Amino acid sequence: MDFKSAVTRARRGLREERRLYLVAVSSLTVAFLCVAGAILTMQNLAEMADRWGRSGRVTVYLRDGAQGEDVQRLRAVLEGLSETASVTHLSSAEARAQFLEHADVGADLSALPAEAFPASLEVTLVADAEPERVDAIAARVTEFRAVQDVETYRGWFDRLESLLAAGRGFAFALTLLVSLCVVAVIGNTIRLAVARRRQEIEVMKLCGATDGFVRGPFVLEGTFQGFISAFLAVALLMLGFFLLRPRIDVTFAALAGMRSVFIEPWLLVAIIVTGAAVGALGSAISLRRYLTV
Amino acid sequence: MPHRDKPTVVRPFQFFRAGAQSAANDDRPILVLDDVTKYFDADQPTLRGLNLTVQRGEFAFITGPSGAGKSTLLQLIYRKHTVDQGRILFAGRDIARLTDRSIPFLRRNLGIVFQDFKVVEHWTVFENVAIALEILSMPRRLVRSRVSEALERVGLSGRGRERTENLSGGEKQRVAVARAIVTEPALILADEPTGNLDPHLAIDILTLFEEINETGATVLFATHDHSLIAKREHRLISIVDGRVVEAQSGLSSWPGQRNKNNSGLHAVAG
Repeated sequence: MDFKSAVTRARRGLREERRLYLVAVSSLTVAFLCVAGAILTMQNLAEMADRWGRSGRVTVYLRDGAQGEDVQRLRAVLEGLSETASVTHLSSAEARAQFLEHADVGADLSALPAEAFPASLEVTLVADAEPERVDAIAARVTEFRAVQDVETYRGWFDRLESLLAAGRGFAFALTLLVSLCVVAVIGNTIRLAVARRRQEIEVMKLCGATDGFVRGPFVLEGTFQGFISAFLAVALLMLGFFLLRPRIDVTFAALAGMRSVFIEPWLLVAIIVTGAAVGALGSAISLRRYLTV
Repeated sequence: MPHRDKPTVVRPFQFFRAGAQSAANDDRPILVLDDVTKYFDADQPTLRGLNLTVQRGEFAFITGPSGAGKSTLLQLIYRKHTVDQGRILFAGRDIARLTDRSIPFLRRNLGIVFQDFKVVEHWTVFENVAIALEILSMPRRLVRSRVSEALERVGLSGRGRERTENLSGGEKQRVAVARAIVTEPALILADEPTGNLDPHLAIDILTLFEEINETGATVLFATHDHSLIAKREHRLISIVDGRVVEAQSGLSSWPGQRNKNNSGLHAVAG
């Protein structure tokens, strides 16, 4: 197949069938926008999980009646760790006061005695602390005589991870569904184009055109539809994101103490390339079924 | 019931890939139909045991009443259909045994013109003719010069940029003829090319085919227009009841019919 000739004929086809292709591209852009939106959400959730996982804190609950010496030694050990940013001692009375200040359970809890709240060492970790390393530290700290229990808050992180895994599954399923829709829409568009250009296909076949020569422009047209739809979706998402980012960031800062992030450049390229590839696939499948002259 | 041998699969012939020149430089008959039978209806063969030999450079009318099998004969040659029995040798090669992938290479050696023109209305005259060369992956510059020559030969010089839909019927047929000859094929098949034209234009188109024939191309011209056949001294191949009945010229009624004027009838070929 002569590629230059195929490109020329594909351009002519796109020009002649521009209304048909405009409708197809509009619907495909919405479909790709859904996928890109899901990927954007996933990327931000992943960033949030990563941040929570890395910039966490650890609460070391002390036994009732723990010796001051033991507590001091423990505190010194914790402060000596490279993962530790700061260590604060919280007495039972302070823990009770803090709880009553933040509690909003609709009941009068002021009668609770201070003994109900164990004293603790609140350890703030540095930003890059690895979750596995924090777990290892927690396991070692538990062995200290003054320690009753250690809370790393990994349960919350694990729950967010589960949410992320479910979200990834959803995004994958959505991508598959959208891919099928793209194949169907482009397939039908190409089928209509084939029907409308049946006469020229017949002429080409009678002049000795191979199947590749006849199919080439249609495959290019399908590829272009997929490419331009994915590109428009990415461009629209980018525009929307950067317009709304100031508002989004306020919410994000309050929720997670971070700024929102956009899809990574390689992923943007992957979305556009996938769009083009799915477009080519859709037109190839359609041609195999309907190009019989 | 028709006898249907499973055709032996063959690879694309190098000959068909080589293009028109190789087909033209050969001293074998350009076309041999040997005992060709074609059924569309199991009880009623359209062509039955048809034998025909066409030499290089010949101009032959193919005639017969409507439904006699003229178009079917041509369609078997350009492999729109496959023979049910017999062989068709084009420059010595059996085209009935070609694989589907080889058919385009056969058609590149043929120029085909139809009654309904089969031009793409929304294309320009140039594009309609150039497509035959683009299929051969010919360089753009060569395409321009060859199309220009072909349009000049059919009397449409300088009209390449016009949209085909704006042309008259006779002009559209000239575009179709230009497309058929632009690749310089060894054999031109014309299936009722004057059927949609008035008598004056029909003579013009016939003359055009004769001029093309004078340059060395073999022309098979299917028509049921007696007045046209009577005006020219060419070989006459008449198809009656699915068989070839040959007449030389000067025909005034269908060969094979009882008529005192059918003096041109000279042979029953198969």
